[in-house]
Amino acid sequence: MADLTLDLPRRTATTDFVAFARGRPGFLFGLAVVALSVLLAVFGPLIGPYPTETALPGQPLQPPSWRHPMGTDVSNMDILSRVIAAPRIDLTIALVSTAIAFVVGVLLGVVSGFFGGGRGVPRLMSEGIMRGADIIQAFPVFIFALALVGFRGPGTENVVAALAFLNVPYFLRITRGAVLQVRERPFVEAQRCAGNSELRIAFVHVMPNALTPPLANLSPTIGFSILLTSGLSFVGAGVPVPTPEWGSMIAIGASNMMTGQWWTALFPGLVLGLTILGYALVGDGLKEYLDPVNKR
Amino acid sequence: MRLLKYVARRLLVLPVQLLIVSLIVFVLVRQMPGDPTFLYTGPFATTDRVAEVRRQLGLDEPLHVQYVRYLDRIAHGDFGLSMRTSQPVVADIRQRLPGTMELILYSVVLSVAIGVPLGVYTAIRDKGILNRLVFLYGMTAGALPDFWFALIAIFLFFYTLDWLPGPMGRLDLMLAKPADITGLYTIDSLLTGNWAALASASAQLALPVLTLVFIYMSLVLKNTRSAMEDMLRSDFVLYARAAGLSRMMQWRYALRNAMPPVITVTGILTWFLLGGAVLVETVFAWGGLGQYAVQSVVNSDYAALQAVVLLSAVFTMAVFLVVDLAYFVIDPRIK
Repeated sequence: MADLTLDLPRRTATTDFVAFARGRPGFLFGLAVVALSVLLAVFGPLIGPYPTETALPGQPLQPPSWRHPMGTDVSNMDILSRVIAAPRIDLTIALVSTAIAFVVGVLLGVVSGFFGGGRGVPRLMSEGIMRGADIIQAFPVFIFALALVGFRGPGTENVVAALAFLNVPYFLRITRGAVLQVRERPFVEAQRCAGNSELRIAFVHVMPNALTPPLANLSPTIGFSILLTSGLSFVGAGVPVPTPEWGSMIAIGASNMMTGQWWTALFPGLVLGLTILGYALVGDGLKEYLDPVNKR
Repeated sequence: MRLLKYVARRLLVLPVQLLIVSLIVFVLVRQMPGDPTFLYTGPFATTDRVAEVRRQLGLDEPLHVQYVRYLDRIAHGDFGLSMRTSQPVVADIRQRLPGTMELILYSVVLSVAIGVPLGVYTAIRDKGILNRLVFLYGMTAGALPDFWFALIAIFLFFYTLDWLPGPMGRLDLMLAKPADITGLYTIDSLLTGNWAALASASAQLALPVLTLVFIYMSLVLKNTRSAMEDMLRSDFVLYARAAGLSRMMQWRYALRNAMPPVITVTGILTWFLLGGAVLVETVFAWGGLGQYAVQSVVNSDYAALQAVVLLSAVFTMAVFLVVDLAYFVIDPRIK
């Protein structure tokens, strides 16, 4: 009798992901950008050809050349070295603030979603959380960020605090939406019958099943936080000046743009835009990948 | 009737919202480092003088008394003096608000006028080069920093091509301001027939508006497209097709039902633009509310900052109130 073994390729989580990513150039591009930005955050300040915070001898405002591929700025600092050193501060601020916002937002989202619509103290808490989120979101984002930093004084920690605060309602709403769906599933009722406390059901059983939407939104939020950080630094309310940071580099180049030295602001902004785009594309791709309906 | 009732209910909630917002702003200000007394007395004042000024400012009172005082003052339109301009903050804002409103007005109108038709078009025809371009634009525009795009636009259209004036505010410096009717230079100069001012104000508006429209229109475009696509896939359009209605009629039905999300996104866009205007105004030395906010942050001008934040929250509430009312008018199902 003939041997009837079928030689199918093994399917694992990795092969699935590779197969998914292969047909999506935008997603691949985003992944490359994210990987590169993380690498530069770690090694960027070390691998640039010139120092990142000191002026070089010679003429300032040199146009791009072989020695300075992105030119030099008004105080004759090498723009390329500074552009690749910038992810350290930009990404650190974005990652830390997004991580804080994620943790706080998810916890509050579970509380407000799981206990929403009930009665007594938990319900009041749930309502209170949502109204708090409404209030935070009643201010235009950038103006509120500016005000938070303004009232506390410029500086890296205050930018982190402001961005974390502003992003909490965002994760809160996404998590709450997911929890509201998960809590209706039969397994929650089963846990209740098995004698689990409500608190345990909420955080041990419901929360892990509601994490997909907030996780998929991590990446775009990081991108958005980078954009806000650079905006704050651009107006002088973010990272202080000599530190290599994309927004403050654009600010340094701003007046040169009006007199024709286009390289001073063009390159930092281009890299900034590509980075934000990359993080947004990764977010789009992950949303599609993690959604079982879309996955093919 | 139901509309009136709804409006009344919304207007009743508004003061409560305002109260909470004002409380937050109040708490934020009390969080700031340092003692504002010394900003008035200077660093070398005697202790008696410091105590006197503190009493004048009401800072020796308990916090809740200070909050009530603060509410009383803003209820009477007194937002204090700006440390930087030495003018009442209200006067400063009255001077600067029209500039920002002019910027936002034209940006919203153009974004909707271009974004909605383009979104509908790309939803109806899902192939072709224009479609691909629009898709690419929608993806990239949201990722670009508006202040950077503004600088690139200045380099291209002012420095290189010299088609448009440089970033020097709302009007050519050689021209007198048009008579103050609405505060919007383009409209005031049109009303008074001041053609030189109209030409200059429009030219000055061109680049900032181009920047805001380019960056933020993608929001309108993408939402219109997806709302329209959803509607074209819906059962009622399928039914219309089965019943033999023309393509034109199908599109009209779909468009009408795609309007509510488009109105929402127009509201969100207006709200976004108030924040976006901050950076773009700074680049163009616009002298509007956004630039005022930045200057007050950089110079620790707390009275001014406080007022701007409060005003921006009021603006937000007003925008979303209008959106909700527009829903009422356009969507009979809500009634």
